[in-house]
Amino acid sequence: MRNAIEFRVYGDYALFTDPLTKLGGEKLTYSVPTYQALKGIVESIYWKPTITMVIDKVRVLNAIRMESKGIRPIEYSGGNTLANYTYLKDPCYEVQAHFIFNPHRPEMEYDRNENKHHNILKRSLLAGGRRDIFLGTRECQAYIEPCVFGEAPGFYDNYGDIHLGNMVHGINYPDETGRNQLEVRLWEPVMKDGVIEFIKPEECTKVRVIAEMQPKRFDENNVQAADELLAEWEGWGMK
Amino acid sequence: MSWLLNLYETYNSNDKCVGVIEKKYNDREYTLLPIAHTTQNAQIEVEITEQGDFHSARVLDKTEFSTLIPCTEKSASRAGSVVAPYPLHDKLSYVAGDFVAYGGKIKKEEPFAAYIQQLEGWANSEFATPKLKSIYRYLSKRRLIQDLVVGEPVLYLDADQKLITTWDKKYEPLHGEKPRIFTAVPGEVDSVFIRFNVYSPDKALTKVWKDTELYDSFIGYYSQLLGEEDICYVTGEKLPGTDKHANKIRNSGDKAKLISANDTSGFTFRGRFTHSHEAATISYEVSQKAHNALKWLIQRQGKIMENRVFLVWGNDSPEVPCLTDNDNIFAMEFGSESSRPITLKAHTNQEFAFDLAKALSGYRNKLAIKSASKANVNILVLDSATTGRMAVLYYRNLDKKLYFDKLIDWHSKCAWLHRYQKDGQGDLLQFWGAPATKDIAFAAYGSKANDKLVKGLMERMLPCIVDGRRIPQDIVRSATHRASNPVAMDKWEWEKTLSITCALINEREGYDVALDKENTDRSYLFGRLLAIADVMERNALDKDEKRSTNAIRYMSVFSQHPERTWRTIQNALQPYQAKFGKQLNYYSSMIDEVASQIPFDEFNNEPLTGKYLLGFYSQRYKLYQKTEKKQDEGNHAGDEDHKEDSSSGM
Repeated sequence: MRNAIEFRVYGDYALFTDPLTKLGGEKLTYSVPTYQALKGIVESIYWKPTITMVIDKVRVLNAIRMESKGIRPIEYSGGNTLANYTYLKDPCYEVQAHFIFNPHRPEMEYDRNENKHHNILKRSLLAGGRRDIFLGTRECQAYIEPCVFGEAPGFYDNYGDIHLGNMVHGINYPDETGRNQLEVRLWEPVMKDGVIEFIKPEECTKVRVIAEMQPKRFDENNVQAADELLAEWEGWGMK
Repeated sequence: MSWLLNLYETYNSNDKCVGVIEKKYNDREYTLLPIAHTTQNAQIEVEITEQGDFHSARVLDKTEFSTLIPCTEKSASRAGSVVAPYPLHDKLSYVAGDFVAYGGKIKKEEPFAAYIQQLEGWANSEFATPKLKSIYRYLSKRRLIQDLVVGEPVLYLDADQKLITTWDKKYEPLHGEKPRIFTAVPGEVDSVFIRFNVYSPDKALTKVWKDTELYDSFIGYYSQLLGEEDICYVTGEKLPGTDKHANKIRNSGDKAKLISANDTSGFTFRGRFTHSHEAATISYEVSQKAHNALKWLIQRQGKIMENRVFLVWGNDSPEVPCLTDNDNIFAMEFGSESSRPITLKAHTNQEFAFDLAKALSGYRNKLAIKSASKANVNILVLDSATTGRMAVLYYRNLDKKLYFDKLIDWHSKCAWLHRYQKDGQGDLLQFWGAPATKDIAFAAYGSKANDKLVKGLMERMLPCIVDGRRIPQDIVRSATHRASNPVAMDKWEWEKTLSITCALINEREGYDVALDKENTDRSYLFGRLLAIADVMERNALDKDEKRSTNAIRYMSVFSQHPERTWRTIQNALQPYQAKFGKQLNYYSSMIDEVASQIPFDEFNNEPLTGKYLLGFYSQRYKLYQKTEKKQDEGNHAGDEDHKEDSSSGM
């Protein structure tokens, strides 16, 4: 696919918190990553306000296993407390994602050089991402490497369909929807032979409006265009 | 599929069990609660005529305390001085209109006013039933205490016409011996719980708290009063939501909630969300049904170990009437109280125990037909770190067929011959299979192991069974150490530890109990040597001589320094060897044979691996089997047989 990358992401643990268990603080993970969690990973590889990352599909390579740990979270009113968090053990995923130019940021139009961004994205992936990669929550450190989607053998090959029930798909932020509000999207994914094909964020029918929110402003004044940077670099090369 | 959705579906596919009272083995009653209902212990039952007049009242026995009552979200979680009446049955201070007149103390607002107003709303709604109207008509007369103290009284007044809350000797002239109500109520009498029933002289009416018509009436009425509709995070449908979720999940005194949201100062959900309903919403119906199903399942088939709940259930498709199909299949793994095959048959699903046994011995056919359906099995482990909240520690939802494959796999891989279980008559049972996880814990940590340790191990073993993971090394090592130290335990305990340890080691090795004469593993051979020395000395001793043999006493050192210790053991054997006549040849040739199999350079003091226990067990088993056989046949064949045996041992 155009502008796409394929990569494998893995770590010792993952915690894609089920929002229902988030309320009380005894976190339990979803059994598969959400769209938003994967989007976060891709954005950690490379992101700029010019582009929007889109996750196409994810493939679960290892069997879904859970492991609980006793955790001592900080009590913000003082002291600490006890909780049991339940993580996914040995998570390993293959992800296919691509980027599009953010249509809700016309002010960034001057930075739309598709080839350049795609190359930066691929380079960043090869380097292991520009920022730290983690699976769901910050304590679940993860690693990425390029791969060919669907090549390696997986636990769920020829497994059939698994209905995962109602899950969070992701969060709508105003700079990607054009609406000045924060929204949560829900959907009912089905894992086919270990692969979840995500629907596009705008195709989600179940959307909850959470609160008012304003997008952050990006333009020439606080962002340097990829072309400019390239020109600058090439200029350096001349010296 | 999420655990809550599975619980919700389990409720829906078992709605025939709603309100049906079932009994546990200890006679404790439990039931699948209808939504918007809960159970309470009532101490007084008041009968009201259909016309709405007082008929009679009595103090209840302990055995009939338990009452299914309707409840609202508020009343279900009321605490302290909050006035939140139950819709129908409630405490005296709520239901008695003349409570204050008889000296009842109330804090701020009058509970009765709130109660009768709520009841009025229900009784005047389109959902009201005749019984409900009778009760409402009577209670609105505000004369309950007045009726309860006259005639054959259940409540008592003192000289000032005030209610007696605690019994005192000074009331004896008035009322005689201490009346029953004062022992029936925990605490003071004004907190007595009252349930109402409607009496008819000419027809037998269903008890109000067992009347499904009344359940439906309240559910119908209450569903109108629920809050705003929002997307339910479990089903994805737009339904009236709730922010109050059930407690009392494990038992009636359990305050821990699975879903709670009173944390507004910490950052459990705050950050991008400011209120808990922004982070997630769950519908009232789903919350009620899922929690009720969970409570029901825990009562029915849950294993509770030091407050940790281990639960396995199947949420079969709705056409399967009740989920007895996999009832207590895990009882074979969990909980020694039900792990005896005999008792297991008595109070759990016979068919499955049988199926599993059959499947284990290769007859999978029946299971295969059963698992052709798309049924799923859920495995859930719950525990709480603090009193208020409970967490899901482990959740798996897997295909029933896969689940059985895994169970069969586990039972054939982590298997050994055990003889520590007793049947009803107290005879030792011999069985081949995987030990219960609880027993594994005792083998690894000793029979006095802390419950917390045991429950931790039980949880760690789950992935080994369900995912076919390797048994954690520390458990195997710990069990091996304990099994190598027989002098520290009673004989029966050591035998149990030994066979369980063999099962654990064998999970990796895949040996058979039958002696493998071709096996040239150093540890295995050393184990065999030890067994021969043990059996030889044991046979030389008198029958009633109970002391341990040298081999057993030196076992621990032997496992660490086999060569050096073997010399000691062999020297110690000499006096016993002298006792044998012809038979000496038999044993010493066997020792020679085994010893010669150990390569010269491996006959050293390198510590032995756990495999030596397998060699020890198999060799000892072989030798004892032979003696038993010899004794059986001895009467017929005599010495001939003996010769054959000893030659076969060469």
